[in-house]
Amino acid sequence: MDRLSQTGHVHDASSIVIEFRNVGKTYRSLLGTSVKAVEEFSLQVPEGEILGIAGPNGAGKTTLIAMMLGYLRPTTGVIEINGVSPREYVQRNGIGYLSELVAINPKWRAETALIRYATLAGIPNSQVRSRVSEMIELLGLAEHRDKKVKALSKGNLQRLGLAQALLRDDPILVLDEPTHGLDPVWTQRFRDIVGQLRRPDRTILIASHNLDELQRLADRVAIIDHGGLQRVVSTGYEQSAPAVTRYRVTLAAPYDRIRESFRLAEDLGRGEYDVTVESVQELNRSLADLIGRGALLASVVPEHSVLEQQFREAVGDSQ
Amino acid sequence: MNRGRLARYTVWQFRDFVVERGIAIVMIGLLLGYVLIEPLRRGLGTAFSTDATSPGRPVLIMVSSSIVSLAVLIAVNGIVSTDRKAGYYRFLFAKPVSPVAYYAQLFFVYMIGVLATMLVLSGLLHTVVPSFSIIHFLLYTAVVFVAMGGIGFFISVATRFDWLTLAAVWLGSRIMRDLYGGKPGLRGKLVQILPPVHKLNDMATDIIANGTAVASDVAWLMAYGAVFFVLGLLLLRYGPLAD
Repeated sequence: MDRLSQTGHVHDASSIVIEFRNVGKTYRSLLGTSVKAVEEFSLQVPEGEILGIAGPNGAGKTTLIAMMLGYLRPTTGVIEINGVSPREYVQRNGIGYLSELVAINPKWRAETALIRYATLAGIPNSQVRSRVSEMIELLGLAEHRDKKVKALSKGNLQRLGLAQALLRDDPILVLDEPTHGLDPVWTQRFRDIVGQLRRPDRTILIASHNLDELQRLADRVAIIDHGGLQRVVSTGYEQSAPAVTRYRVTLAAPYDRIRESFRLAEDLGRGEYDVTVESVQELNRSLADLIGRGALLASVVPEHSVLEQQFREAVGDSQ
Repeated sequence: MNRGRLARYTVWQFRDFVVERGIAIVMIGLLLGYVLIEPLRRGLGTAFSTDATSPGRPVLIMVSSSIVSLAVLIAVNGIVSTDRKAGYYRFLFAKPVSPVAYYAQLFFVYMIGVLATMLVLSGLLHTVVPSFSIIHFLLYTAVVFVAMGGIGFFISVATRFDWLTLAAVWLGSRIMRDLYGGKPGLRGKLVQILPPVHKLNDMATDIIANGTAVASDVAWLMAYGAVFFVLGLLLLRYGPLAD
């Protein structure tokens, strides 16, 4: 298993914002039993990066995030944010954080909850109302602003959670399962918002089960399982990355001579074919040949993304 | 910077006290006062006072001091543990705020809140029992808040079941004192380190009725609570926020 693979990325030490060095966390019960939630975890996150964290349930994602925010102390190893301990960093600067479970006092009203968080975030009194209104507008909460938190639907609560995370223009954002409970429209809207949040001086961590989401949003994805870092995958195309071997090719009309270009093409009907190649170069040659023969190409989609392949390899058949 | 934004947040903390605890304390105080004091006052008329000769004085002191203890118990119940149990700490302390400063401020805001509710109740009582001193009653409230509230604060930091634990500590201390308080030997010495709740009865009479108290008793009670309050803050500073 290629643990701690950094996908060939070399980071300038001065650009590292978050660093995990051999971090471990063991929970001990009063009866003496212990559970290792995180083990020997090392990773550097540079400024400006969107890092995805993927892993199956119980892999240690939430524990890792709790330690990164200073809510838990590592049993072993060190976590540093801009050279200081997480708690010290958060107390000085704050982190835009959306937790997996959005826990806001159910008796508060949506708008006053945001006003409270804005006050704690240190937004000047004169700007609190306008900033809160801006977030309410951005997250489509205008018609719910006077509702009590307990009256909000799961999706609206998630949006309120996201709104409080974005109140301050924090240089570090941590989003744990951010689209959990969002409908497809707001999932798409969320992706647009995160896209707009990308800045050279802002580092964003997104923990998610949704590999497709991480593939779209993140620059790299850290795959963790059983509390350990299994590998780090770049979501962009890399020469060194293992090639995707299966693609779904869709033609504008059925084309019976496809096997002259792709020997092992499998006809799925309605102009769709499953094709297998050994490299990106072979894919391009075969596609050029196919088009040259007069076929009209509608789409080419990998059967599984590089990230999905890597995830399957890293976490094994247990998932 | 931290202090500035926390100071602005005081308004919200006080509002939470009023809505979630203050109204309940006033209602319970009114109910207890009306049920236990009003029949006596009606029966004794002007003889019902805080004077040493008044037959109503023991009841007046007992009821008013019990309301204070109950108010403090309601005020500090879940002061820290609720945020941890419900997970509210996650968003609160992702903001640039020190949990130690946040909860220290909350403790003092709740103290002001308890004093305010006791001001309302003692003000009402003063109208029907003119000899009942509002100032003395507030002094007693402040002493009990520091003594009992400090221990309650520590327990709320240390455990999720703070109401139950505080009640058990309070009751257990009284029982242990009654059983072993005056006895020689190790047990007799060990009970001396338990919360000095046995001093509250005498102190209630002294402060509420006379406005005086044995200085060493007041100091011992307040120091005991203050030490536990500081221990609670240290536990917040060096312990984990999450479970």
